[in-house]
Amino acid sequence: MSLQSALITLNSLESRRSALRIDSRFQITVTVVYLVAMLSVPLADPGRLVWMAVYPIVMAEASGTGYGRVSLKSLWILPLVVLVGAFNPLLDHSPAWRIGPVTVSMGWVTFLSICLRGLLAMQAVLVLIYSTGFYAICVALGRMGLPSVLTTQLLMVYRYISVLLQEAISMDRARAARGYGRRSYPLRLWATMVGQLLMRSVERSQRIHRAMLARGFNGSMPASTVMRSRGADWCYLLLWTAVCAVLRFVDFSAILGKLL
Amino acid sequence: MHMADALVSPPVAAVAGAVAVSLLIVATRKVARSKRTDIIPMMGVMGAFVFAAQMINFSIPGTGSSGHIIGGILLAAFLGPWAAYLTLCSVLMIQCLVFADGGLMALGCNMINMAAMSTLVAYPLIYRPLVNYPASAARLVTVTVLASVAGLELGALLVSAETEASGITALPLSRFLLFMLPIHLLIGICEGIATGLVLAFVQRYNASLLTGATVGWGAMPGSRRRRRRVMWIFGIAALVLAAVFTWVASASPDGLEWSIEKVAGVAELAPAKVPSTAFMPDYGSHFAGIVGGVLVMAMLWAITTVIFRLRRLHHKYNE
Repeated sequence: MSLQSALITLNSLESRRSALRIDSRFQITVTVVYLVAMLSVPLADPGRLVWMAVYPIVMAEASGTGYGRVSLKSLWILPLVVLVGAFNPLLDHSPAWRIGPVTVSMGWVTFLSICLRGLLAMQAVLVLIYSTGFYAICVALGRMGLPSVLTTQLLMVYRYISVLLQEAISMDRARAARGYGRRSYPLRLWATMVGQLLMRSVERSQRIHRAMLARGFNGSMPASTVMRSRGADWCYLLLWTAVCAVLRFVDFSAILGKLL
Repeated sequence: MHMADALVSPPVAAVAGAVAVSLLIVATRKVARSKRTDIIPMMGVMGAFVFAAQMINFSIPGTGSSGHIIGGILLAAFLGPWAAYLTLCSVLMIQCLVFADGGLMALGCNMINMAAMSTLVAYPLIYRPLVNYPASAARLVTVTVLASVAGLELGALLVSAETEASGITALPLSRFLLFMLPIHLLIGICEGIATGLVLAFVQRYNASLLTGATVGWGAMPGSRRRRRRVMWIFGIAALVLAAVFTWVASASPDGLEWSIEKVAGVAELAPAKVPSTAFMPDYGSHFAGIVGGVLVMAMLWAITTVIFRLRRLHHKYNE
């Protein structure tokens, strides 16, 4: 990811408003429940995984993001999972399925499962990201027991990423303007630039520290939003937990296969 | 090196998550008890710095490709090991929860592999005892290469072990290691040289920044006795590793043989022919079920799209 694209992603997330009004704590919990249910499906059973797409499809559409966008974005996980899963068809030749005259080896079945797991897991995380804001996630994590030092740290890093990205972009642009078309840096020049960025960052942190002390900073950031769980949040949690359990334990592909 | 959710099973994710969270709790306590009042904003800005620095690529001489730093040793040199672990974990969490880089279930694995190995193992055991400021640029680069290689190789070892323990790949552990370790050796050398050069630059212009890294690990003696002890530990570790590698290498065919075998294996990628007498259930109906499942999911997508868009239009119209 380049400096510019990271900044654009951050800005687009900041301006996004989800159509869902569910407490972030419940959204995080449901995502974890879904991931546990989906990742516990045996690799030899991709039929169950296909049905696990119910959650990202419904939630992507309900949050107003659109499943097309989420599924397209999830494709970039494929190279990594393909790299790891590619050995399975090469090594595992034991027969698994016979579809008419063609016999599919277990290696190919597990490879398909790994790809599906990768895509669905990525889609679940993307749905979480698009339907909550990072600030809401941090506050929710704090309410769920994460130490305040860590939530403060997360908020600080998130706050200053865009500032330092802009600083790095202006340094990069200045170098590019004087670089006669060279795109990457020789190591020594890179070290000088990153060292400069680092020293500027430290100086900035010292200024921020003084400003924070002047405003009565006592070690943790106060949350400006109050979180109260409503009946709808509990319904959301119970409904999706039930759906995940049903999808995990009932093999709809086998049932549909018998019907067909 | 980010692990994806697809590569971990729930039990492995749970164990790794428990270890990573325990380390996080220790780190937050160490930081909360720290006498450095500026550590919170420093950690925040340094986390953002690592994030930005990871996007500035340097060219790797002689390869035509480029790389970026991971930043574990660099952070530890400025913040101390525990604060650096906390900072790197927060960067990993933001990468996961904002940029969807590395999975939510695999977060614990990534925290251990990428953050703990470099900041809590390689930095205190290798970097600290061997560097005494002011140090020459050559010494800084040599030590950061050693520390980065150790941190990354340990991380790669854990990635392989976690993937194997999750039962994801059919590749045996020894072969997986032969695939992972050499790549991470090269990455570690590049990371080490880049980190060493940045540290040398900072030491030249503002050395006081480097001597303040004391959170959770006391003062920094770097005495001759300590250095000698590290050398002994390193020597023994190198011997053990050499012995293990000799055993792994003899247990599996050599790299070239193995590659040829794999290339030859490609020819067999076509669905395997099995004798008709082989015991195997007919999965034709199962396959039809999967295709049916995919169609149902497509229908679900179409229906949910229509329902939720109509609902939003309805709300808009009413407003």
